[in-house]
Amino acid sequence: MKFVDITKRAGRSLRESKARTILTSLAIGVGAFTITLSLAAGAGGRQYAADIVSANTNKQELQVSQKQESALSGPQEYSDSPSVTFGGRFSVKQLSSADIDKIAAVSGVKSVSPAYNLSVKYITRVGAKKYNASVSQYNNAMSYNFIAGNGKNLADDEIVLSKDYITALGFKSPQEAIGQTVDLVVARAADIVPPQDQKTFSYKIAGVIDQNELSFASNQTVILVTPAAAKTMYDYNQTGTTTYGNYLAAVVIAKDGVDVNTVKDQLNKLGYDAQTAQDLMSTIFQFINVLQGILIGFGALAVLTSVFGIINTQYISVLERTQQIGLMKALGMRRRDVGRLFKLEAAWIGFLGGAIGAGLAMVVGLAANPWISNVLSLPKGTDLLIFQPLSVTVVIVGLILVSVGAGILPARKAAKLDPIEALRTE
Amino acid sequence: MIEIKHISKTYGKKESAFEALKDVTFTIPDGASVAILGKSGSGKSTLMHAMSGLDRPQTGEVVIDGQNILTLKDKQVDRFRAEKIGFIFQSFFVQGNETVSDNVSLPLEIANVAFSSRRKRVEAALDSVDLLEKKNNRAKDLSGGQKQRLAIARAIVNNPSIIFADEPTGNLDSVTGAKVEDLLFSYNKNKGATLIIVTHDADLGAKCDIIIHIKDGKIESIDNKKTRDGAKR
Repeated sequence: MKFVDITKRAGRSLRESKARTILTSLAIGVGAFTITLSLAAGAGGRQYAADIVSANTNKQELQVSQKQESALSGPQEYSDSPSVTFGGRFSVKQLSSADIDKIAAVSGVKSVSPAYNLSVKYITRVGAKKYNASVSQYNNAMSYNFIAGNGKNLADDEIVLSKDYITALGFKSPQEAIGQTVDLVVARAADIVPPQDQKTFSYKIAGVIDQNELSFASNQTVILVTPAAAKTMYDYNQTGTTTYGNYLAAVVIAKDGVDVNTVKDQLNKLGYDAQTAQDLMSTIFQFINVLQGILIGFGALAVLTSVFGIINTQYISVLERTQQIGLMKALGMRRRDVGRLFKLEAAWIGFLGGAIGAGLAMVVGLAANPWISNVLSLPKGTDLLIFQPLSVTVVIVGLILVSVGAGILPARKAAKLDPIEALRTE
Repeated sequence: MIEIKHISKTYGKKESAFEALKDVTFTIPDGASVAILGKSGSGKSTLMHAMSGLDRPQTGEVVIDGQNILTLKDKQVDRFRAEKIGFIFQSFFVQGNETVSDNVSLPLEIANVAFSSRRKRVEAALDSVDLLEKKNNRAKDLSGGQKQRLAIARAIVNNPSIIFADEPTGNLDSVTGAKVEDLLFSYNKNKGATLIIVTHDADLGAKCDIIIHIKDGKIESIDNKKTRDGAKR
């Protein structure tokens, strides 16, 4: 018997018992719904994470620090290398200036900028109040949300401020602030006894940024200067302290066209701990994948339940159609084809359930996306549920296969029916 | 030609064993109409099942056109039935929820007949039983006589060389029964197909060329109108 004919007959006998077919399909549909939504949430989550990471990092960038001891129980052996010790047990090894030079010498490294750990007393300008300030280094790789000016070719005597500082420092508009001067006042940390020596560093405002929804630095008080400017202030701030010249971490930029992973391997060989943007992303992805796995597990449970439903329905169907099966076998239909007929009916149920569940999931998901983005205050245009045609197809095909699997036992029963016995049934 | 050689069939085992057929032997020439006549429990249905390959007697041979079907594999027996045999049952066994044409199309599908020739053959078969105008109706909406005519269309659609009819008129009144009989005999005459009717109705049996009387699993007598030899066994 031709496969097409069996498929048609299978579809026809399902149409005969519509209510039963739909109810059985709905059970598997619940599983399809859950799994489709989980996959969509996973895809959306990964996309969102990738957006965040690419907005905050450069793929040529590595975060480098000293390899840290992992075992941190009991007293730790003293090391002469620079470190910050917390309570005698936990100590973080730092990078010395020698380490920075060593890293810079690695082939493929374009630049190394240590994370200057400087503290600024306050920011102000003529005629304005003093405000607390925390200075960071401008990073070309990050996507800042400039509302005035820009950070391109930021000079060492220029500064980028967030919008709120502009208002606080008395500018009427961000545009007006461009080119104006602000003062950062830095004290010498080595002068423990007051009065501390302090010095004013003046910068021209080159750009004003607003909060970037994808940025980690989402607080509204951002002050950015070039690494060189940061070093100048750091030198004044930290010279004479015990930690001067030692850094918790450094940012390494690999040369263009050099695979960031080969640089990472070399740095690891030298005994440093180097992490690429991808490493960071894979950590986030792992977290998302675990969550997605849990959700899919619930879906799988629903599918498992529906498997018993399909087995039950198909067994009843075989009983009801004993006579029909007997006739088909008497007319010369092969066992294999009778089995196929029932497996295909199960496949239809799986397809229907998969299509209903996945379809409903897409409708609900697409309708809910704007609402979810709103509640979680995600940036505009970010969808947390992304339906990929491939994964939806895989879900439906997978459920068809599961259903066929569930249909095997009833199909075998049908195939084994003795036509003489079956036709005796009146 | 159908040659039945010394077939025996026993159901059950040991004390509960029941011998439904005891060393049955006879021959049916091609194109004959045959009645297997006997009371219920005489073994006539078992004989029909054995001849059509639905059942396998423990001993003996069922040779059809030179081929002993008892030595065939299940797959080959299925194919033999699909290609050479048509069945008609007392309770019709038409699929009520399917259309009339879908019912008739089933044997063609089973026998792997190409799509292109199916429709024509289905319509020809329905036409010969006067049901063509009902082809898109559901089979359950037909009357008893129409259902049996539908069953005949289903039995002849694949041009079988042998038709088995198990009490074909048993559930019908005499008028509709007569029409069904006419259809069967005319197919037998016109197409030269062997017609084997299993019945307890002596009047129906009398219309056949050969009458095989069966009782308690044994052949009592075979009347052959054509040779008039009335061989006694």
